[in-house]
Amino acid sequence: MGSEGWISVATIEQVERRSSAPRGAAGTILAREARRERRRRRLGSLGRHAALALATLVFVVPFYYVILSSVKNNNQIFSYPPKLLPFPTYWGNFTQLLFHTQFLRWMLNTLIVAGSVAALKVVMDSMAGYALAKLQITGNKIIFVLMLILLMVPLSALIVPLWTLIRMLGLLNTYWALILPALANPLGVFLMRQFILGLPSDLMNAARLDGLSEFTIYRRVVLPLIKPGLVVLAVIIFTDQYISFIWPLIATTSNNMELLTVGVANLHARGGVNFGLWSASAVMSLVPIAIVFFALQRQFLSRSLAGALKQ
Amino acid sequence: MFVFFVVFLLVPVLGTFWWSTRSGGLLGATTNVGLQNYTKFPQQVDATTAVKNTLYFALMSVPLTIVLGVLLALLLAKVGRGGGIYRFLIYFPTLVPGVVAGLIWLFLTNPDFGLFNNILRAVGAQPITWLGINSALRTLAAVDVWRNAGYWAIFFVAALIGLPKELYQAAALDGAGAFARFWHLTLPLLRRILLFALVVSTIWGLQVFDTALIMTAGGPGFATTTIVYRVWQYVFAYPDEIGLAAAMSSMLVVAILILTLVQLRALRGKRGLD
Repeated sequence: MGSEGWISVATIEQVERRSSAPRGAAGTILAREARRERRRRRLGSLGRHAALALATLVFVVPFYYVILSSVKNNNQIFSYPPKLLPFPTYWGNFTQLLFHTQFLRWMLNTLIVAGSVAALKVVMDSMAGYALAKLQITGNKIIFVLMLILLMVPLSALIVPLWTLIRMLGLLNTYWALILPALANPLGVFLMRQFILGLPSDLMNAARLDGLSEFTIYRRVVLPLIKPGLVVLAVIIFTDQYISFIWPLIATTSNNMELLTVGVANLHARGGVNFGLWSASAVMSLVPIAIVFFALQRQFLSRSLAGALKQ
Repeated sequence: MFVFFVVFLLVPVLGTFWWSTRSGGLLGATTNVGLQNYTKFPQQVDATTAVKNTLYFALMSVPLTIVLGVLLALLLAKVGRGGGIYRFLIYFPTLVPGVVAGLIWLFLTNPDFGLFNNILRAVGAQPITWLGINSALRTLAAVDVWRNAGYWAIFFVAALIGLPKELYQAAALDGAGAFARFWHLTLPLLRRILLFALVVSTIWGLQVFDTALIMTAGGPGFATTTIVYRVWQYVFAYPDEIGLAAAMSSMLVVAILILTLVQLRALRGKRGLD
């Protein structure tokens, strides 16, 4: 940004100088300067691209290396020098993973849990956000401050009481054990409150004058207006669930209730050394999230910004 | 929503403090021991080691993550054409579950066929033990940097784009070079944003667990046993250390609460980026 502004100033300056400069020698000097300037800018842009390409490469190479390993058998993995291309391709690791472990079940579990949490949270958080933003309810302020304070407390710090609570409710090793605690996270409420605060209150007042109930206002007036925010929120929650680990690890006890992360971790811990299978599980675990990311890039990239919207 | 918030967040937070005054096991009867879990904590070497490890880990990974994030953001903010593909690829590691990141890095750090040692061999250098007693924590910090730098890079790009252009034009007219503009304009303008990033990534860093479990199982020895890792062991691998686990969790909760307050203060009065 800075440089673009700077460039425009430089051009203005040049134009001014040129217009007042006498023709002839001074003019060619200026033209040469402008040419040099342009070249410098192009070089700068080239340098930036080179630096970025290099950095990107560093970020991407780990994926490539594990993909390479996943299409080798366990002897080829150890051979040196390693092959740099995935040919000939050995599919044995993937067939073992997909047909001889419960990998697909774990993936299904993760999609069910992450999907339900995202769907429930989008509805609840937008309602709660509307209530906090636009309704005068006693206790609103206390709830808001409490949520703010506990905003960053993670489930990993609460495993003792959470586990006993879920056990008391008789929900250990069920989908509910995985879904319910995730619903408590206040981040989405803040995002939604922030979004809804930006909507004009007149709109809701007008609807109220027309005799609409608060719920109808929420559904008919508020929801359509915050649709982009809802998608971002769904993406944030889905991703957080997708990568969650410690709570699913302790809340499930049977192999077929495990989530992807837990199943893959146990594959690694229980099955004996099998680098081929491990690499295949790492690669397959990333397929769903990569697809979703590719489809919703813009929303994902604003996931980073969500933090700043909080206050 | 509010009900879930109270039942599954507020109550467990209070519950953690309550449990920290108890002694006994997860399933058996427990007794009240007052603050004993806290007073015996300093003598509990396996617990204090975990705290130390976690702090070292955060001290290594957090500053690196933020610095790398800023550098990448400075580059990304100025790239027009083709910027999307860079963003996509740099951001993707942040969507990788810790377990999977740990697995991927096992293939990089393996002493026999890992990428790092293969590169070292290719240039004629000695292979390195990446997950040894002295290096394991550093390697875990590197994994964390790889996973999180992209997140903050994208975050900072938005902040950079929001900065007032006029200031930069004025500075350029005054003859300030690129570095001077970064040092005297960009950094001070981003002060709050940077503090926010620092606090949030510290909070994340304090929770490190997945990668330590997968890559080193807390070892070698206790070299990578972190707070959450130790708590998890106290709860599920020891018969009667639940109070100690809760006491440790309480300290983590308190640390996170303090950091949250710092962050809220940093953001107060400013509406962040929007």
